[in-house]
Amino acid sequence: MKETLLLTKHMRENPENSHLIDVYEKNNGYSAARKVFKENNPGDVIEEIKTSNIRGRGGAGFPTGVKWGFLAEDEERYLVINADESEPGTFKDRILLERDPHQLIEGIIVTSFASNISKAFIYIRGEYAKPARRVQDAVEQAYEKGYLGKNIFDSGKDLDVVVHLGAGAYICGEETALLNSLEGRRGEPRLKPPYFPAVKGLYNKPTLVNNVETISSVPWIINNSGKDYAKLGVEGSTGTRIFSLSGHVNTPGNFEIEMGCSFGEFIDNFGNGIKENKSVKAYIPGGASAPWFTGEQLDIKMTIDDVANAGSMLGSGAVVVMDEDTNLVLAAKSIVSFFAHESCGQCTPCREGTTWLEMILERIASGRGRTSDIDLLLDVCDNISPGLAWPPQMTTICPLGPSAVSPITSLMGSFREEVESLLPKKVLINNE
Amino acid sequence: MSENIKFTVNGNELEAKSGELLIEACENSGIHIPRFCWHKRLEPVGMCRMCLVEVETPRGKALVPSCTTEITEDLVVETESEVVTKAQEGILEFLLINHPLDCPVCDKAGECPLQDQTMAYGPGESRFVEEKRHFEKPISISEIILLDRERCILCARCTRFSDEISGDPLIEFIQRGNKTEVNTFPDEPFRSYFSGNTVQICPVGALTSTSYRFKARPWDLKKVSSTCNCCSVGCSIELNTSQNKMLRILGEDNEFTNQGWLSDKGRYNFDYLHSENRVLNILNKSEDSFNEISISEAMAKIKNKIDELDNPNVKFLLGSSSTNEEYFVINEIGNYLNKDKFLSRDSSNIYFGDDLLFEGYFGDQYSQAKLEDLDNSETIVVWAEDIKDNLPILYLRIKKAVKNGSKLIVFGHTNTSIAGLADFYFGADIVSNKFELIRNPNEIEDLKNNIEGKKVTVIAGKSTVFQKKESLDKLINFLNEKSELQVFNAFSKGNTFGALQNIDEVKGLNEFCNEFDTNAKNIVFTIGVNPVNSSFFGQKIKEKLIASDFVISLDLFVNETTELADLILPTTSLGEKEGTVTNMEMRVMKQNKILPAPGSTLSEWEYLTSILNVLGEDVNYKNENEINNYLSEKYINQEKLPTFDNLNKPSNLFGVINKKDININIKDLEEDNFSLLMVRRLYGDSSTQINSPSISMLGAHKFIELNSITAKKYGINSKVGNLIQGPNSILINIDINEYLPDDLVIAPINRRGFENIDPCLDFDITEAKNREELNVN
Repeated sequence: MKETLLLTKHMRENPENSHLIDVYEKNNGYSAARKVFKENNPGDVIEEIKTSNIRGRGGAGFPTGVKWGFLAEDEERYLVINADESEPGTFKDRILLERDPHQLIEGIIVTSFASNISKAFIYIRGEYAKPARRVQDAVEQAYEKGYLGKNIFDSGKDLDVVVHLGAGAYICGEETALLNSLEGRRGEPRLKPPYFPAVKGLYNKPTLVNNVETISSVPWIINNSGKDYAKLGVEGSTGTRIFSLSGHVNTPGNFEIEMGCSFGEFIDNFGNGIKENKSVKAYIPGGASAPWFTGEQLDIKMTIDDVANAGSMLGSGAVVVMDEDTNLVLAAKSIVSFFAHESCGQCTPCREGTTWLEMILERIASGRGRTSDIDLLLDVCDNISPGLAWPPQMTTICPLGPSAVSPITSLMGSFREEVESLLPKKVLINNE
Repeated sequence: MSENIKFTVNGNELEAKSGELLIEACENSGIHIPRFCWHKRLEPVGMCRMCLVEVETPRGKALVPSCTTEITEDLVVETESEVVTKAQEGILEFLLINHPLDCPVCDKAGECPLQDQTMAYGPGESRFVEEKRHFEKPISISEIILLDRERCILCARCTRFSDEISGDPLIEFIQRGNKTEVNTFPDEPFRSYFSGNTVQICPVGALTSTSYRFKARPWDLKKVSSTCNCCSVGCSIELNTSQNKMLRILGEDNEFTNQGWLSDKGRYNFDYLHSENRVLNILNKSEDSFNEISISEAMAKIKNKIDELDNPNVKFLLGSSSTNEEYFVINEIGNYLNKDKFLSRDSSNIYFGDDLLFEGYFGDQYSQAKLEDLDNSETIVVWAEDIKDNLPILYLRIKKAVKNGSKLIVFGHTNTSIAGLADFYFGADIVSNKFELIRNPNEIEDLKNNIEGKKVTVIAGKSTVFQKKESLDKLINFLNEKSELQVFNAFSKGNTFGALQNIDEVKGLNEFCNEFDTNAKNIVFTIGVNPVNSSFFGQKIKEKLIASDFVISLDLFVNETTELADLILPTTSLGEKEGTVTNMEMRVMKQNKILPAPGSTLSEWEYLTSILNVLGEDVNYKNENEINNYLSEKYINQEKLPTFDNLNKPSNLFGVINKKDININIKDLEEDNFSLLMVRRLYGDSSTQINSPSISMLGAHKFIELNSITAKKYGINSKVGNLIQGPNSILINIDINEYLPDDLVIAPINRRGFENIDPCLDFDITEAKNREELNVN
């Protein structure tokens, strides 16, 4: 089983300096941008993206062409690249930013052309200091060459790109919280409706918010064709994706593959199996928000629809493998802790509930659990995500609350005995 | 545009206007949906999640927050289903896990939405066995407001009010998630004129005021509606008393005036009612001190004096805290005392104690504005004294109108506090330092383009007593001609319009000084006014009072004016008398009595009637109601009389608008040379304020304002300095205000320390030299 390199081809071929503009251009860089300006037909570009069937690579998996089609008409429209990669287990955008920033910039240029946008923002998480520097340098190199700024590629159109750093908040990866943060406000999600970014986004203007990987895929689609892109992968999950593999595997890392193989094949082929030859107890298919699959479910295919049908999400493409000796209660607590810490605090269930869940798990993990705690955990989860269904219902404003619920439902669903073993035994008196 | 559409709640079909919020539509139909963060007057945020209801969607039933859901055609809603009930219990349990069990010591208990909704919608028990979140509690966020962050449920009502409504975003959320707290910025306390409103709208006991803290339980309080008398907006208030002490004033939601809000002065300036300095018995001046005498002795003394003086001039200096009924009786006694029995005079001897009062714009040629006109105006024009300081709720309504799209044009230089809101601010190039209009309004493009043919509301008043009326005339007549104009006369003090409506002819304090004939015999009544302290003419008035043969003061305290009197007759105040007051819209509203008259105080009309009786006039009013019937007869619209009966009807609880002829006879000052512009601020040193300990500290701040160029001319580089005039030197804060023109320096007129400052004399400003001086409050 081999990788299919689209996004990571240039950086693999030029490991030292793939981030420099002349190296990028020698490798056919900015040819897609030149092509779209020459053909000068924005509608065609959008059609090409629609034909490719590419779905958003940030986590929600929304069809990108459809999203571009939703953008409302207005003189002032914006493109925002969501580079606030903070989903635990995900580290794919990082290499795209650090090692191939020009691919992203070219994607921005094509996207802005297609949607008549003249100002784009790249919101990079504050912790990514080196990738942010690389992106900032790349933007400046592009300005120097006239690929950004006024009258880019002699087309008469302008395009400005602003690189903005986040300040350490996972919630700013949520698109409306990102827009709030960009506007200088507290990074808190907005209510949808009415604040759908395509209609009322940045500064209340129609805004496209797309993930780094999604926009980085655009140059290839333009240089080749939407049809060619759709031939890769499988129906419903076309093209290639970079999956971040981590956990108890022998060779963790980023791997770019066409979607369609199973998780088991992926872990064996690219992770080279589990360390010390242990077995898989559980794995997370798509980032910390995703419900877990057990070691018995390794044959599930790595496609958006297959994973959804199996009760989880492919999400941000982060696969985290836990071996047979993992203390799953601590694993769940670690994830719940993360969400409690990252909760923005706006709405009651998430703000209070996630911390409460963390406290209960802490007690259970340290041996101070009570027999009523399992039911309590599940009931608190139900108050955040009614019905504990998948996809989740919410009493909250955004899906962060229900994300905290995922590890607990996974834990109780498939590993209840492990939790029960930490609780005091119920003492039977007189055969009750 | 907004037709009635049908929607279903719990199986019942209801009607509402399209676009109305679901929570409000249900409320109007009698279905209560619990909530914390939603408030009728604030933008909804859907944060507390308490108002979740189930609605039918194409994908099945969904939980949505009803405060952010608009009514659409055929919406099907469940507010009592199992899912909703579980969500409500869940949210309350979440809110209570970190909420401290402070009820026994918390002010809010008994009127607490969290308590009430927990009883009605909450789970019976909490399952939380962990440690609750802790903060240092309470902390002072200003001199009058305390914050308890443990009790706070983070509904954001206080921060949203401060941001959206009052425009003073001095409190905000800091940190995130479970550690979120409301707090102020470093070194910037919550000094807002409207901070008290956050205490009223806080759904728990997180925000409390020093004025009311630990004073009473809500079930001990007696409550009555009334009308505030701090300024001429006349906000609707609720007076709360217990054991005959006024403990608290709350804002009532009067759609037409204050919409629930109050300024901190209107809210907290009432401690003086029970001050130990309050005069409770009649004081008689003998030698240089006062001794207490009875009412019969006082009346006898007055009669003897009037007889002895044989045809004296009788003059009245009026304040703005009397009711319409009291002004009516003052007018009656004025008429009586000036009949042929005494010196017959063609014009009245009644002078109103507001330096900024002038002829104004009344009569048929000007259309009287209402506060709701601000919302419908395309443009609002302001030329008056500082609106934020002197008509604070008017400022809030202007701000609201601007937010909804009205344009705002402000003329300088006394309204710099709303310059930031304005679309156009006309400063030095249009208004001179003497407040003359130096350009023809027709040539001011920005003005013309925004008023020609449009609906305009103008707020017109003098910025200083030295201003000539002509400059305002030019503007008002231009507006009246070119636009559909509604006019507010910005006379800001209390019941000014009640005085104007019920007194045949009103003159000003300058007229008092000019008409005072030292060769004649003079009796002067001062009624609820302290011009020696607060008027530009204070010194002259003091001389006249000293030169008078007899001075009778009807007032609450011994102050700079009343100490010159021969008799002080102590009067009733807010909540101790019943009557009506008229606001700047000519809206007549009710004031109600809830406290007994303390000591031997009587209402002003009771004293004046006694005086009339003792002079042989057979006048007897049984009560305020009777007086009100007499004065009501004179209103123009006989269908809508402001009688007590009418005003007590539920449909008229917000007052009735009615007009009477108004006759103001005040001329411009001859001189217009002033070197220091002295202006009125919200907080000051009036006798009520300095005797109200909860807020008296707010009027102690000494400052001057000037722009940076003027500061440079004085050689000032620091924020602290000295204002020096003759032998007077005051330590002041120096506030740089770039909206001011060059060479204009502003100082407050009603602040302790500034009593001896004369705006017409030269002055100097120097920097504060040594470090100790920097510790100005």
